Amino acid sequence: MDSKKLKVAILGSGFIGTDLLIKILRSKYLDCTLFVGRNLQSSGMSKAVSLGVAVSDRSIEAIAENPKNFELVFDATSAHFHQIHAPILKKLGIIAIDMTPAQVGGMCIPAVNLKECLDKDNVNMVTCGGQASTPIAYAIGQVHKDVDYIEVISTIASRSAGPATRANMDEYIETTEKAVKVFSGAKKTKAVLVLNPAQPCINMQTTVFAKISKPDMVAINIAVDDIVKKMQKYVPGYSLVISPTYENNRVITMVRVQGAGDYLPSYAGNLDIINCAAIATAEEYAKRKYGIQEY
Amino acid sequence: MTNPMTHVLLKDCIEAIGNSPERFNALKNETVFISGGTGFVGTWIAEMLAYLNDHYAFNTKMILLSEHAFSFSSKAPHLATRKDVAIVEKDVRNLIELPREVTYIIHAAANPDNRQHSSDPLKVMDVISRGTGAVLNAASRLPNIKNILNISSGLIYGPQPQDMECIPETAHGGPDCDSILSIYSEAKRYAETLCTAYRNQFKLPIVTVRPFAFIGPYQLLDKPWAINNFIRDSLLGGPIRILGDENTVRSYMYASDMAVWLLTILINGKPGQSYNVGSPNGISLKQLAECIASHFPATPEIVHVPVNKAALKSRFVPDVALAQKSLALTITVNINEAIKRTMMWHKDRGI
Amino acid sequence: MKNILITDPTLRDGSHAVGHQISAAQIAAYCKAADAAGIPIVEVGHGNGMGASSLQVGLSLLEDGEMLKIARENLTTSKLEIFVLPGFATINKDLKPALEAGVDAVRVAAHCTEADITERHISFVREKGKLAYGCLMMTHMVSKETLLEEARKMESYGAQGVILMDSAGAYLPQDVKEKVGILAEHLNVPVGFHAHNNLSMAVANSVAAVEAGASILDGTAKGFGAGAGNTPIEILVAVLEKMGYSTGIDLYKVLDASDVAEKELMKVLPSIKPISVISGLAGVFAGFSKHVERVATEYKLDPRDIFFELGKRKVVAGQEDLIVEVAIQLSQKRKTQ
Repeated sequence: MDSKKLKVAILGSGFIGTDLLIKILRSKYLDCTLFVGRNLQSSGMSKAVSLGVAVSDRSIEAIAENPKNFELVFDATSAHFHQIHAPILKKLGIIAIDMTPAQVGGMCIPAVNLKECLDKDNVNMVTCGGQASTPIAYAIGQVHKDVDYIEVISTIASRSAGPATRANMDEYIETTEKAVKVFSGAKKTKAVLVLNPAQPCINMQTTVFAKISKPDMVAINIAVDDIVKKMQKYVPGYSLVISPTYENNRVITMVRVQGAGDYLPSYAGNLDIINCAAIATAEEYAKRKYGIQEY
Repeated sequence: MTNPMTHVLLKDCIEAIGNSPERFNALKNETVFISGGTGFVGTWIAEMLAYLNDHYAFNTKMILLSEHAFSFSSKAPHLATRKDVAIVEKDVRNLIELPREVTYIIHAAANPDNRQHSSDPLKVMDVISRGTGAVLNAASRLPNIKNILNISSGLIYGPQPQDMECIPETAHGGPDCDSILSIYSEAKRYAETLCTAYRNQFKLPIVTVRPFAFIGPYQLLDKPWAINNFIRDSLLGGPIRILGDENTVRSYMYASDMAVWLLTILINGKPGQSYNVGSPNGISLKQLAECIASHFPATPEIVHVPVNKAALKSRFVPDVALAQKSLALTITVNINEAIKRTMMWHKDRGI
Repeated sequence: MKNILITDPTLRDGSHAVGHQISAAQIAAYCKAADAAGIPIVEVGHGNGMGASSLQVGLSLLEDGEMLKIARENLTTSKLEIFVLPGFATINKDLKPALEAGVDAVRVAAHCTEADITERHISFVREKGKLAYGCLMMTHMVSKETLLEEARKMESYGAQGVILMDSAGAYLPQDVKEKVGILAEHLNVPVGFHAHNNLSMAVANSVAAVEAGASILDGTAKGFGAGAGNTPIEILVAVLEKMGYSTGIDLYKVLDASDVAEKELMKVLPSIKPISVISGLAGVFAGFSKHVERVATEYKLDPRDIFFELGKRKVVAGQEDLIVEVAIQLSQKRKTQ
């Protein structure tokens, strides 16, 4: 084992957890010491076993019994379980990256507030649409301190939305609106989520509308280009479809997210982006801990 | 294909595809994954696709999943060595991922041999239930899946009522849960409902077919079904032994018709729809034995071991109007011709 | 004599026709007239329902709460109904305050393949003791079997009726017969149909729906609605009366109400413009038409090209942002040619 790698575990062997695992196996800074779920026969577990990763079906107990083995845990279970896991992880001194909508810790959008997240022991990855839209809203908010209104619309492939996403659309909207508001400084925000069942599946697409009294389009374009480049460092499939354009008294920007196609299909950019963001955050913890400078 | 073992097959393919290979154009340049790929259904699909590749440049790739891949090179050496056929040896229950290029799936993994249903029931049910789950779970992560064909069984209807000529897709009923004879049929019924769940939860395109009885090359004569036994008895010089009631009615579809029907339903079947696949032309065991016997110059004797239980008389004939009307499918090989070709293949191959 | 329940979304679907700029006075005037005519259910709000006022689909002149307050004050016998689309409207922000404002009935809608996103909203309405209906939108896009499957989900969530919406105005009577028919045969709750008039089929399709077993029909004053408009309610009532169905609506007064609507609400009467025909053929959500016209003018494009491209992309309601993307793409394509 590379001593320079941060020891991490994944809680939750569903699609998100398994995709995270494959991304971690590629990471220079992270070492997955345990893949934890509840059912050893699930396809995620089988995949982990086939990759030679240590697995357990004993959930949080498997972590609590051997806390020295873990410096950071990705919690990809559910909001309900993260409420239970969060205080346990805190007591054990293990950093938690919360993939669920529990919002126990602070919101983390790596392209926007990564450095300040490193001082927290529990960070929340907001929502897929939040990871895609907030950086654009933030960039606009950096140019204009008095943005009246920002609206973000994400359209995702119907097949990429599981029962939990569908049951929690309201929470998605509320959390995304909050993140966009906090990081852009806009007076009012709105989030919309649309599921599209077209075959072949569409890639995730996110549109950001901004109402600004006198938009400086040149400055907005520079700021958005910068943040997109920053995003692309940790989400390779993130791209600008429409650069900030002034149209019908509003500024419209559109991005598309194509997934890496690790464990999940490439159209599931919505699941990929939140995992990419979580990995980028964990890697930053690792770099700080081991004093690694990027060059 | 000058090999005597394959000349029947080539003739079958030429006839079945006829002048209209364009019916299957949707499969050009696609990758078809077949679980149970080296079984009767899988081999026939591969045979047909290989023909389309060789004669009409379809460039269709086949991935055959099988637990018994090792025996495929003796069963169908001309297919086993092809570049467009990849054989993967794996228990379908352990399938985690499918190659990303897969666009069509035929899920045919299950053992229809009813002797095993009684002797190894847990494995039979497990392979069908968990195997179907594994295939669908892997399919749910494919980026470009176009259609999935779930091969179920005509047995899911339970016993066909005596007064029902042909059993339609809308029939309800189902197998008797208390019977060891329901192992296969009940598992298949569960698998169909599992498909409904995957179709809804993952918006997967899944079509189900309910096959009845078939006859033709690649079907082993040691299978415990009347037609196979009658042919075997005759090829070995007779007598043909009829067990149970000689008025029991079955129907048989020839293998090449089956392959055409399955491929057509794979391409054009409506997701969520179930289609019966088989021959609608019933034949009693007595007629069947006589028909087989008539193919021999020295007609083998037919021995009937009578049983006095009327309950043993049964009927198992599908209503296939749905497939015939909505997909323009037809029966092109009648029972007499089907028996002739099957016997020729077995003779060539050497029983 | 069979009773047909008529729902009147003039003040909701009609909102699309005027860019969601319906005023307080207009709501009050039409509610009074509809109430007097005995129209059983009057639907009010933004064209895409509660919480939908946005840059994406258009900002409302009035806040949702304001619209409901005025409608409530002017409806005595008619029930007040709202439309909610999960993904836009949430229970806390939109549904709860609406029920508190005195709404009697709620239509919870989803794209025709996504019924499962309506579970929580339908359950909430039922728990509050109000009428809950499920609406499937853009139903021309999928088979009757899929519609039955999705409608059954809504029924299992507690919907007291399921309405098939021909949101693109793409149906022909034969489609109605098949799709409404299968639902009427298999559901245990009433089935409804909501028509659009792009191919001039709204009344004919509504008649076909009733004949196939529907017992809820939508009609708006003079057809005031998105795109080419809906089924004219005054004609629908007359036709149903002639066919021997009862609606409980006073024919003279509903004719009067539609005149009130024409005078108070409409700058122009709904008509089938050439682009409405194209939109119907392309199978694009009727609510897109105003946006497409505006964007086409802005980018100097033929709106018909935009409609066909949108149809090809199989866009659903709520994807209005794609109109701009398609326009930019088409104009870039034109430049390179």
